Amino acid sequence: MEKSDLSHHIHSRYNDELERVRTQVLQMGGLVEEQLKRAVQALIEGDSRSGEEVARNDHKVNAMEVAIDEDCSRILATRSPAASDLRLIVAVIKTITDLERMGDEAEKIGYIGARLAAMEQPADRYREIKHIGRLVADMVHETLDAFARLDADAAIAIAKKDRLIDEEYEAIQRQCITFMMEDPRSIRRALDVLWVTRAVERIGDHAKNICEYVIYMVYGKDVRHVHLEDVEKQLKLRGARKVE
Amino acid sequence: MAATKGYSIWRTLVWLGLVIVVALIAGAILGRVWQAMAAALAISLVFQLWRLHRFEHWLRRRRFEQPPDYDGLWGEVIATVSRLYRRKQYHKQRNVRMLREFRRLTTAMPDGAILLNAENEILWFNQHAADWLRLQRKRDYGFRIENLLRHPDFVNYLRRVGTDGQGNQPGNQVIIVPMPGEPSRWLSAYLVRTRYVQQGLLIVREVTRQMSLESMRKEFVANASHELRSPLTVVSGYLDALGEESSGSSLDESWRAPVEEMRRQAERMRSIIEDLLELSQLEDHREHAGSDIVDVGGQLSVLKKEILGLPQHPAQVHLRLDTNAQLLGSERELSSAFSNLINNAVKYTPVEGEIEIRWWADEAGGHLSVRDTGIGIAAEHIPRLTERFYRVDAGRAREMGGSGLGLAIVKHALQRHEARLEVQSELGRGSTFVCHFPARRLTHAA
Repeated sequence: MEKSDLSHHIHSRYNDELERVRTQVLQMGGLVEEQLKRAVQALIEGDSRSGEEVARNDHKVNAMEVAIDEDCSRILATRSPAASDLRLIVAVIKTITDLERMGDEAEKIGYIGARLAAMEQPADRYREIKHIGRLVADMVHETLDAFARLDADAAIAIAKKDRLIDEEYEAIQRQCITFMMEDPRSIRRALDVLWVTRAVERIGDHAKNICEYVIYMVYGKDVRHVHLEDVEKQLKLRGARKVE
Repeated sequence: MAATKGYSIWRTLVWLGLVIVVALIAGAILGRVWQAMAAALAISLVFQLWRLHRFEHWLRRRRFEQPPDYDGLWGEVIATVSRLYRRKQYHKQRNVRMLREFRRLTTAMPDGAILLNAENEILWFNQHAADWLRLQRKRDYGFRIENLLRHPDFVNYLRRVGTDGQGNQPGNQVIIVPMPGEPSRWLSAYLVRTRYVQQGLLIVREVTRQMSLESMRKEFVANASHELRSPLTVVSGYLDALGEESSGSSLDESWRAPVEEMRRQAERMRSIIEDLLELSQLEDHREHAGSDIVDVGGQLSVLKKEILGLPQHPAQVHLRLDTNAQLLGSERELSSAFSNLINNAVKYTPVEGEIEIRWWADEAGGHLSVRDTGIGIAAEHIPRLTERFYRVDAGRAREMGGSGLGLAIVKHALQRHEARLEVQSELGRGSTFVCHFPARRLTHAA
């Protein structure tokens, strides 16, 4: 923040570039979040137009991924970043892949939503999808907040929530199977609902991945494929040194 | 001040003189003048040094309430320092008090306020802003606002106001976004940028109530017009049947004219309901229209043909297509806007009049103008033309069978295409309606 510092001043353009990449990632995240919310809403309200629009807008997310990827490559090539800067770039490259996949899932939801709009609404008006959609949208929002604030503690807390979403997914799956057995005519719709739930659940998984990148960015520690409780314990044991 | 200072110096000098004289006399008596002089001066030096030491001690301990009681120059210095300190203390307290009052005021303020620097980094915010935007006090200072408030509409708004440099144009001012983490609550945000100090103040306000009222209103209009349509269809069906039969002999002669009138009025009612539905659909989609390629030239040619097919139309209808540029947007909405503009021109232009439709493009973007030589509009009516059911001349408009919603539809359709409507008119000479589309909505394909 202190721009009067001489050594900072020399690199201020570099700092700007890094900051810009971060901002772009967060904007891409904002777009994905919005896409997800609108797709779920279109499905619940049976608004086929809005669902199609979400599916059409996915190209914006893809374009942002390409642009950020290019910026990252340029920074890697021209600035050869080290330490925390390097971790930021690595985390960004991974994050945008996950965000792009999230965008694809949102597109899928929008597309299926547009198709389901033509069919009769079920009695519960997709209450369970509304619920899981809300959970995941909150999770994505908090993940991006943690990314913006470099808040590893929040990231761990959010990553833990993923289990909740998995449970919800299981419950919906069972419910759908029951519906299908009770009334074979509902199989088509139940399958679509399953697909949507699956997409929402996948978005939760991608959000969890991003949380792991946030932890990596802050502590310089790769926590993929490790139990979250172990991660927490380890970070506490080491006195949670934030590496510079 | 000068007088006391001079006095003090004199007093000190007199004291020094006295010491020297006493030393001289003592020296003369003892016969050791120089030693006596040296001893006297050394004593007075030690005395002064002692006072300096006490003074330094007093300054360092900052016990300004109990200044050492010295006379002469030292006393003056101590008095001045105490005075300066008291004044500083007074100003400091005043500033602290003001700051505290300001804080209290901003907390009591019903709006959220966020202070941003030129890079949109957060410098300060009040309690409401923290609550609504889920910001964390102290911790979020220095973060860019768009990193924490990532809604695409908001980011675009920030960019737009940032590049304009002024951002104070009406219409561009306010953006409405859902509250983070609370999808059913809404916020309006308004960024004020000062031109000289590169800072911005973002005012945030909760508009959930307004939004829900607004959506209730829209829903009501949409539902009411939808519900009105079916009974009206039945009524006009019977009226049509009666009207047709009236050409035979079953209908009494005296009923023929009333039935005709009823058919006309039913037709008008249908068109009002259609327009209301159209308008409520336009309003329903808050964001900008999509980006299908719309062939403006083709649409205008079709509209021209329609006019020439009318039983009564102005003698001359010119269509000038100066560019083959096409628009990105919604075909249906644009077509409805253009046809409303052109139909208006036809309605208010006498048979011997003239209509010119022109479509051209330049660096600023695309422009469509509809010029007529009709009755014109008085200047005081122009700003209100696009209001719903606003009529310049109520009797006349009813005669023409308009719904009073045409220009409102035009305005909304243009808004969704980021376009602007300009109206020039002179009473008795005719009017010109120009739609200005921004360059980013143009495409030169084919």
